[in-house]
Amino acid sequence: MSTSVKKNCWQQLQCNHGPKSENPCPAVVDETSNGVNGGKNAGRICWSIPNTPCFDEIMGRFDEKREICFACDFFQLVKREEGEDFHLFKLAQGVKGSHKLHDTISQMEHLFSIHERLHSHFDLNTTIREITTAARRITGAQRSIVFLLKGDPPRLYGEFRLRGKVHRVSIGVDNNSAVGYAAANNEVVNLRDLSGEFMSVNQPVFNRSFDKQINCETHSFLAVPVQSSGEMVIGVITAANAKKGYFTADDEWFMRTYATEVALAVEKQKFLHQSFSALRLASIGETVAGLAHCIKNIAHALRGSSYIIKRAIEANNVRDIRAAWEILDRHIESLASLSLDVLTYDPAAHKGEKGTSLNDLVSHVVHLFQEEARARAISLSMELGDKVDPCSFNARNIYRCLVNLITNAFDACPLSEGLVAVSTKRTGARELMIRVSDNGRGMSDKGKAELFELFKTTKTGIGTGLGLPTVADIVKEHNGRIEIDSKLGEGTSFRIYFQEL
Amino acid sequence: MPSKAKIMVVEDNIDESKLIKMALEPEGYEVVTAMNGKEAKEKMDSEKPNFIVLDVMMPEMDGFHFCSWVRSQPEYQKIPVVLLTGVAEHIYDTKYPLKGVMEADADEYLEKPVKPEVLLKTISKLIKK
Repeated sequence: MSTSVKKNCWQQLQCNHGPKSENPCPAVVDETSNGVNGGKNAGRICWSIPNTPCFDEIMGRFDEKREICFACDFFQLVKREEGEDFHLFKLAQGVKGSHKLHDTISQMEHLFSIHERLHSHFDLNTTIREITTAARRITGAQRSIVFLLKGDPPRLYGEFRLRGKVHRVSIGVDNNSAVGYAAANNEVVNLRDLSGEFMSVNQPVFNRSFDKQINCETHSFLAVPVQSSGEMVIGVITAANAKKGYFTADDEWFMRTYATEVALAVEKQKFLHQSFSALRLASIGETVAGLAHCIKNIAHALRGSSYIIKRAIEANNVRDIRAAWEILDRHIESLASLSLDVLTYDPAAHKGEKGTSLNDLVSHVVHLFQEEARARAISLSMELGDKVDPCSFNARNIYRCLVNLITNAFDACPLSEGLVAVSTKRTGARELMIRVSDNGRGMSDKGKAELFELFKTTKTGIGTGLGLPTVADIVKEHNGRIEIDSKLGEGTSFRIYFQEL
Repeated sequence: MPSKAKIMVVEDNIDESKLIKMALEPEGYEVVTAMNGKEAKEKMDSEKPNFIVLDVMMPEMDGFHFCSWVRSQPEYQKIPVVLLTGVAEHIYDTKYPLKGVMEADADEYLEKPVKPEVLLKTISKLIKK
């Protein structure tokens, strides 16, 4: 179909605001829309141009005038003539594939959903995988990879999946490759035809070594720098196409949007890491406060017995000396075992260490909480499953999970007659389960749904809202899952299932 | 006030309860003990103490609740009460807000570790009132 038979709006509607008029319509002069639906400027996409003087009246924006436009004969004509290639918005101009109305809208919706999902993940790799999948879909590319700058001197590191296997690539920040060029110069690189016909002398070199590695020939390639909020380059997002065709200006626009999402995800990850270390400090603080309580009780007994002994010596009362001495002895013993507990179970001392006995870890933690349970009038019980040990797990992480869950259970308990039960069980050849249940206030379905949201806390003053998300993160690291049973007013039971290392 | 006041020590830790008893008896006080608020409540009618030394954190019925109950009973509400606790501040924030201390309306509030001399002085001061 040649453009000569395709009429522009002013020709079809015999408009007084055509190119030759003194006061031409905005659609006539909008060069950025030239060629859309085969028209001159916005001649065949006039509905997307605000304030067109159609039917002797100045129209508003698209959302204001669309009812009139959709009813307009010219709109219907263009839609009929263009068929599958019809563009409702110039945004979709040139984007490959067929872009019917619903495609465009679904793409926009997809962009928003990606953005929203970013807020629910805190795993950078998952987020990046989602972004690259979306980028592939929207640009029609076969491959999309996100490279992030790491190390000193910095290099670009990326990974992609091919037939179920994860491949890792690293590229230098220099002009020896298109990706390196984009990062080194903070520039979008759009290589339209790598077969050579239209290769420009000035364009960055495309490094074919990667193509060889995956046995494919890239035809066109797009690399967009990822910038941090300080406009520093922190990575590159790429799209590669092996088929004929090229990436358009609209593809670039979409990829820039994705680059922004990558940057957001990276910054969020950084922020979370900082928050998690803050949480670790907070949990140390809680432990110290709990310890202070234990020590106070012991000191109280020591002070009391030393007073009795002193006075009983003056009165020559051997019976009282004996009684008080026994108490003194017992409390010195508990002071000694308390400091041993702290030394043995400082999570920092267990950094990355593999545990081999889950039951040992659980009984140590439960033992550590026993004193606080007593002080808070909670009965803390434990049931260790058989066949649980020997096993293999990250001692520090599971310790953190357990401390978190027990602390939560304590805080949920009623003022008196609180019950907290901890148990372990082997649930599979390589799968273990820890259950922490309480008879506390329980949760509504809404409460359950919000449970793992970051910074959500019901504990005014002491909660960071990071506890359960940390648990979720750790469990995920162990390829595990969390199950929750909870009834408002009756209590909650958390079960974490995890795979052995 | 008779010279031999009867003091009820409400404390769930046997060692502590024993120590307080040993410190009070040589001073001429008669001492009865209870393991928690609930037991103390049950013993009030039969023992009729004229002074109460009360731990805060106890199973069954804690010190604050027992103290509030004492204050709500016409025949007991004038009995002096000393609250003892080793509670760490972080627990106050969640379960025992400072309001709880105010509402419990004890006459004295001593934080563990309490010096026995201080406890004795506090008791004799409140009994003389």
